[in-house]
Parts: sequence; C-alpha cells; structure tokens
Amino acid sequence: MDRLSKPGRAEPGPIVRALQYDLEEALASLWRGRRANLLAVITITTAMFVLGGFLTVTSNLRQVVTRWSAAAEFSVFLRDGLSSQQRSAIDRMLDQSGLAASREYISKAEALVRFKRDFPDLATGAEGLQDNPFPASLEVRLRSAAVDRRALETLAARLAKTDGVADVRYDRRWLDRLMAIMSLVQWAGIALSGVLVAAAALTVANVVRLALYVRRDEVEIMQLVGAPIAYIRGPFVVEGTLQGGVGAVLAIVLLALAFGAMRARYGTLAVGFFGPSSLEFLPIQVSVLLVLGGMVVGCVGGWVAARSVR
Amino acid sequence: MIETEGLSRLYGRSAYALRDVTVSVAKGEFVFLTGPSGAGKSTFLRLLLREELPSAGRLTVQGRNLATLASGQVQAYRRSVGFVFQDFKLIPRKTVYENVGFVPRILGVPAAQQSRRTFQVLKWVGLQHRLNAFPAELSGGEQQRVAIARALVNDPMIVLADEPTGNLDPDLSLEIMTLFREINAAGTTVVVATHDRELIRRVGRRTITLDHGQVVETR
Repeated sequence: MDRLSKPGRAEPGPIVRALQYDLEEALASLWRGRRANLLAVITITTAMFVLGGFLTVTSNLRQVVTRWSAAAEFSVFLRDGLSSQQRSAIDRMLDQSGLAASREYISKAEALVRFKRDFPDLATGAEGLQDNPFPASLEVRLRSAAVDRRALETLAARLAKTDGVADVRYDRRWLDRLMAIMSLVQWAGIALSGVLVAAAALTVANVVRLALYVRRDEVEIMQLVGAPIAYIRGPFVVEGTLQGGVGAVLAIVLLALAFGAMRARYGTLAVGFFGPSSLEFLPIQVSVLLVLGGMVVGCVGGWVAARSVR
Repeated sequence: MIETEGLSRLYGRSAYALRDVTVSVAKGEFVFLTGPSGAGKSTFLRLLLREELPSAGRLTVQGRNLATLASGQVQAYRRSVGFVFQDFKLIPRKTVYENVGFVPRILGVPAAQQSRRTFQVLKWVGLQHRLNAFPAELSGGEQQRVAIARALVNDPMIVLADEPTGNLDPDLSLEIMTLFREINAAGTTVVVATHDRELIRRVGRRTITLDHGQVVETR
C-alpha cells in the first residue's frame, strides 16, 4: 500500500520535489488539453520556423558575401604609355597604404588573352580589332576582409587622381551594398519573427489560462491547504515552457526537412553559383538557442497566465 | 484558540454579512455555528480560512491576528487548518488515494510519510477498500469521508466544516458527525456550520446562532 515511497532511494530536495510535481502535472494537463495545446505548439512552431528560416537564408548569404569579399579585388587600370616613374609612384602609393597584401601586373596582351578565355563567344570579334583595346592593370589583393572601408575609399580616390591611372575599380563597393540590403532583410525577418513570437506567447498564455480555468477547483483546494506558490503556479509555467520547447523542436525539424529538400533540388546550382561550401543548415548553437528561445516564450506565456493565481 | 472582537464583514456600502461579532472558541472545543441562510455562517468560516479580510474588528487564532498575516504566513497558517465543504470539492480526475495524498505531497512531506499518513486517514474514515476509485464512483457519504480524510491528513489544529451534511440523508449525516466527534475527541478544535437543528440536537454541542450577521444566541 506504500505506493508513493520507494525504499532505499534518497529523498530528493524540496526544489526537485516541486519540479517533479510541476512536471507531472504539466504533462498530464498537456495530454488532457491536447487540442488547445496543439494550437499553442503550432503558433510557436510557425514563429520559430520563420525566424529559423530567415536566419538560415541570411547566414548562408552572409557567408557567400564574406567569401566574395575576401576574394574581392582592387583593380587599378593603367593608361597606355605609362612611364616607369608613374608606375613607381603608383607602386609606392600602394605599398605605403598598408592595405595591399600582394599585386599582380596584367599587361594589355594578357588582358586580351583573359578576355578571349572568359568570353569565347566574343573572341572572334576581339580578333578583328587592329589595336588591343584592353588596358594594362594592377590587380591588388587586399590584406583582409576586415580592412577599413574608409581607408580603401581614400586610397581609391588618391589613385584615381594619380598620373598614369585610367580608372580604379573596387569590387567591395557593391558587396557592401549587398551586405547592407541583406542586413535590412535580416532585420525585417527578425521583426516579423518578433511579431509572430509575441503572438505565440499570447496564444500560450491563453491556452494555459484555459487549463487554469479547467483546474480552478484544484487550484482553490491547493490554496486552501496552504500549498507553496511553486506548487500552485509551477505546473502552468512548466506547461507553457514545454509547449514552447516542443514547438521550437518541431520548427527545427521542419526547417531541416525543408532545407534538405531545397538542397537536394537546388544544391548543384548553388555550388556552381556560390561555391563548394555553400548552403549550410543553422549551426547547432543557433538551433539550441532557437529551442531555448521557444521555451522562454512558452515560459513567459505560462507565467503571465499563472500570475493571476495568488 | 479562536477569538473575535467586534468582527464585521461588509459587502458594498451597507450589506453586512457579519456585524460586531464577539465570540471565542476554546482549544479542543466542538462548536456548531447555526442560523438561517444568509446569517453569516459561511462568511465567518471564510474569514477563518483567511479567504477574506474583516472590514472591522479582530479575528485571532492562537493569538495571531489573521488580518496582519503576510501572504507567505497565510499559506503557513492554512496548513494548520483542515476544511470540509458541502460540495466535497474533490478533484474528479484523481483517485481517492490521490485526492488525499496530494496534500502531504505538495506540502513537502517525505514520500514514505505521505503514503503512510494517507492510508492511515483513509482507513480511519473507512475507505481503505476504495483507494483506487474516482469520486464519480463514490456515494455522497463516501465523497464527504474522502474530503474529511483530506482535511485530516495534515494533522490540523482546527477543522472547519461548511454545511458538511447538506447533500446527505439523515443517517449519513449522523455518520459524518460521528467522524467529527471522533476528530474532536483526539484534541482537534472543530467548527461546523450547519442549519440542521435536528442534527445539532442529536450531537449536542455548544451552538452559536447567527442571524443577519449578528450573534443572537450562544448555548
């Protein structure tokens, strides 16, 4: 008849006992109100799926842009008939700037060869020309992806005014613009997810409030027998937390499935366009953070609902 | 044990549920609180359970003024009070054993003691053979006995009962009153609110009669 005791087992502490009770009650309540709870789980899944989706897309694009930025070149196109003094002045300016890791001189002839190689369809047209129209250039490899953008702008402006320089092309300008657009998209995604997360928290609060209403007699009895507040409110907070956790895990699973399907379909295309290490799923740390985030959202919803119990 | 002095409970501006009530209940005493519907019996018990606060006057239990208890102290005080209601207030989804056993559990009693004490009180009210039954499977008398077992499981110093026999026939009512008498015989203070004068006559204990919120007779 000693159904609650387990001889030989050490008695857990009061916090563990309270958590055990809260968890048991929350699981039972989740099962009893499974239809309403499903609604709460779906809203959290939706919010976390959208957030996770935006994070996956933007983190992949960010990686691609970072890779492109690292490979970006700073091209100095030289005028025909450049004197050796002018060339030395340009070299000196690049060396003194401290921004150039290395540089390669591309002669007019080499530029033509590259053009024919990169654009074979147009090669016959180029062969018909009497003079080689391509300028010689210096292709400068920059020191790192994180070099000061303002310093690069200044160098580009100074070089453009230097004798013997026809033009300066700086790839990172458009990459920076792309990065700015991506940040905007990311913030828009986070804002949208924020709205969905708030809606999810409200749904959880209402579903938990419903559970509280169903169990109002039980709560009243607990209050009258002098139960500690952790035992009265705890099950509702745990219920919300579990809804959040389950919703977020479901979102990650769905996101992984969607990601797998996309990669199977468009993976080859992406490798060709973005490079070999393109298309990566959310890092494990971010996935764990999303699940924890879902649990926090659910916990807040549950706590808001349980706060009415005094 | 229980002392009131000029105790009043006012609802709205002029609706007195209790007015200037001065009574005392000694430790280990069995007292009936009687009077017609709306006399203030249930209000008196709600004040004793510290579900409500007095509008005026003092209510002390074992020298502690209930109005000045902080919320944490209210919970601690309630652990020393057992209560029984007319509608039993059992949890339908829990078995007889669980309805009683969850009280020591949420009060942090060690597991071995929980089960021992739960079985002990259920045996005392004569329900040791219905441990796994749900409230819906029990008669009214049995349900009230479960409620009494729940009130006793925490070994309270006071047991409060609000019309505990209101839903029961006369024979079962007497059976329940016998349980209260036995609880009282063990040294627990018992306060029973009832309008059943025949039952009071058969049990024969001190009676405080209320009418329109005021004490009209003490015998």
